[in-house]
Amino acid sequence: MRKILLVEDEPILRETYGIILSTQPYETDYAENGKDALELCKNKQYDLILLDVMMPVMGGVEFIKSLDNLDEMKSKIIVMSNLSSGKEVEEAAQLGIQKHLLKSDISPSQLISEIRYYLEA
Amino acid sequence: MTDITDRPAPHTKVALQTEHKRTLTELERYKILVENVQDYAIFFMDPEGYIQTWNKGAEKNKGYTHKEIIGKHFSIFYSDQDNADKKPERELEIAKKVGRVEDEDWRYRKDGSKFWANVVITALYDEDQNLQGFAKVTRNLTERKVNEDSLRSANSLLQEQQKELQRLNESKDEFISLASHQLRTPATAIKQLLGLILEGFEGDVPQNIRRLLEKTYESNERQIGIVNGLLKVAQIDSGKVILRKRSYDVNDVVHSLVKQYSGIIEEKSQTISVEIHDEPLFGYIDEQYYRMALENLLDNASKYTENGGTITITSKAVDDTVVVGITDTGVGISPENIHSLFMKFNRIPNDLSHKVAGSGLGLYWVDKVIDLHQGKITVDSKLHEGTTFSVCVPKGM
Repeated sequence: MRKILLVEDEPILRETYGIILSTQPYETDYAENGKDALELCKNKQYDLILLDVMMPVMGGVEFIKSLDNLDEMKSKIIVMSNLSSGKEVEEAAQLGIQKHLLKSDISPSQLISEIRYYLEA
Repeated sequence: MTDITDRPAPHTKVALQTEHKRTLTELERYKILVENVQDYAIFFMDPEGYIQTWNKGAEKNKGYTHKEIIGKHFSIFYSDQDNADKKPERELEIAKKVGRVEDEDWRYRKDGSKFWANVVITALYDEDQNLQGFAKVTRNLTERKVNEDSLRSANSLLQEQQKELQRLNESKDEFISLASHQLRTPATAIKQLLGLILEGFEGDVPQNIRRLLEKTYESNERQIGIVNGLLKVAQIDSGKVILRKRSYDVNDVVHSLVKQYSGIIEEKSQTISVEIHDEPLFGYIDEQYYRMALENLLDNASKYTENGGTITITSKAVDDTVVVGITDTGVGISPENIHSLFMKFNRIPNDLSHKVAGSGLGLYWVDKVIDLHQGKITVDSKLHEGTTFSVCVPKGM
């Protein structure tokens, strides 16, 4: 089973994306910030990480940088942000992520088709 | 017996008398002049600084009568600190060396009150270069000093108030930004949850419920649009938008926008006419922001034009700039409303504004973005006939 990690600090969005992901045959883990996500990544190899950018404790950009040192297999990363532009988003884009999605732009089926695309690519 | 030799000849006597009279008059004039000047304290001091003469201005300014002050040392007018620092002695030394010394500082009256004084001490030498004493002229400049001080303090108060306004403005921007972020999360969750239902993840939805949910979805989309608009405005107002400008083909931007919008335009049975040349037209732009600005204008053009209308897009080089024009056959803007078009939170009532959702932030943002490009937007409109927005930016290489 494909393994997905969802990193999102907002409980309501974690829950909502959780419902969307639960409709698919994936094993999904959850983290509420980059630091917790990094801990999970030490013990499990994820195929895809859905990553928020602005989070307390450790944000998305710092997480990608730290993961780079840790992860030799390279999980695929889809960044899900609130903003279409800005310093953090641009920084994340330069760190070699697969895709940048705007949370308020995509629908559940669009999200699923993006996930499928990158899991099968 | 009378010694006639001592008696001057008649003509000589007259001459002497005249000369004598003139000399007296001149001295008297000086005496009267100095003694009666009210606005300046003028007095003579001996080489050690002891006061020898006293005029009306001195009495008026310093409060001592002639009788009280003659023979007193001039250090009496100085503050205790100045005296401890030997300032009066130092001033005399300087005057002795270079001829004069000028100072502006507080001086003290007989009653202990102080006044802001401009003081000039001039060393007076006789023909053989022997120091005879000093002339001291003091002017009371308290009024000027008070005015200057109050001007200075008013100025610094103004500066402080300006800083405070700036702080308030920044915290307002921050508040809008924070509030918008907070509002966006629940709105995004609603969008996803409604999406799950409307996209059939939970099975079929009865038509009557689907209709209500679609309205809910639409309303939520509008809310997200407003919140996004607020965030974009907060971002640009706080100066956090930094453009990455480079030479880029504006025709390429136009073509991709038209492609993106063809669906929406078709839906409204509108026609889009693209009148641009085949060759590239390079503008010095941040492609992403420039695109968002044109997108906003194209979106407005379609929204504020009735079904079946036409939207025309042109592009051309004008001097050192490239100009993209977006013309619609829509509701138009009346002359009295043109000036407020780019104001924040301003929505102009028109034939379609009750149907079109808007935040009044779009054009404000577009104007700011084009401004950051060192560009300009001009509007040409006729009510009920249509509008042309022309976006002018510097040309690229």
